Amino acid sequence: MHELSMADAIVKTVIEAAEKNDAIEILEVTIEIGQMTMLNPEQLKFMLEVLSEDTILNGAEFNMELIPIEIECLSCGFKGEADSEELDHYIPVINCPNCEEKNMNITAGRECNVKNIKIEKSDEDA
Amino acid sequence: MHKIADIEIQHDILIANRKLAKRNQKILDKANVFAVDVLGAIGSGKTSLIEKLIQEMNHPVAVIAGDVISKFDAGRFEKYDVPVIGLNTGKECHLDSHLVEHALQDLPLDEIEVLFIENVGNLICPVDFDLGSHLRMVVISVSEGDDTVEKHPLIFKDADLVIINKVDIAQAVGADENKMVQDVKKLNPDVNVIKTSLKENKGVSEIIKSLEEFMRQ
Repeated sequence: MHELSMADAIVKTVIEAAEKNDAIEILEVTIEIGQMTMLNPEQLKFMLEVLSEDTILNGAEFNMELIPIEIECLSCGFKGEADSEELDHYIPVINCPNCEEKNMNITAGRECNVKNIKIEKSDEDA
Repeated sequence: MHKIADIEIQHDILIANRKLAKRNQKILDKANVFAVDVLGAIGSGKTSLIEKLIQEMNHPVAVIAGDVISKFDAGRFEKYDVPVIGLNTGKECHLDSHLVEHALQDLPLDEIEVLFIENVGNLICPVDFDLGSHLRMVVISVSEGDDTVEKHPLIFKDADLVIINKVDIAQAVGADENKMVQDVKKLNPDVNVIKTSLKENKGVSEIIKSLEEFMRQ
């Protein structure tokens, strides 16, 4: 259940940024989730909504953007998006799309990035 | 009048943990301490293996015992008169770099050479959280079933050393330990996979040899 601790860290980051920018309301939050992380976007969204209650985040829309897995194959040198056979518990088993080997470095897909927020602020603050 | 504004944040929560992990590793390197993150399934023998290694390694050892409630494992290590820090994760399913950073502050790093960090028994969540260790050792046992590796590929993909424990009872639980070794090799061709039976003291010297090789690198 590390969705809860991640959601907690995301909420803190977002509220801090919103307060710094004199937000009176947070309308949208966009979060990038790497497909190689052990995070389930649906569970994470649920936790975010629960933790948002009674904060400035209450009612905000959470957009989850999935970041595909990119690899550098150590067998054939291929660089780019990997083939992933998504399992029902979000653990992708990845192969090099070129040579189908599994010996590789992962160059993208391990993110949990708070990308941006859309806020409402009063004109006088601008 | 109100206006709408888009604010760029670009703050990666997992990268924040990885940065802290790097800081932990610097602290360990400065003190010449080799740290091993011991990961694995519940009941696979992580604590028993660390107990054996404390007794048989010719290096001064300390242990960080991480668990939902850590006092049980910490109590087992304290019997060997080595520095032990228990880390309670409470509701959390993994250790993170921040918790480990605090434990490092409380350890006599100048007096030790090897630090075992026993993670929470879990083959899923700890994968996302580097701790700053020099080596990730994953411990599983035949009793979890010989499809364990196939079902949790990522932790084996990232492992530096893999232990298949309790091979003495493989037949009794209907598990093929050699299939488990092959499954690991498919995901991580160069990793050293060691079959052990802690009960029969098999494979422990091989683990120590492997750890010492890593320490020399």
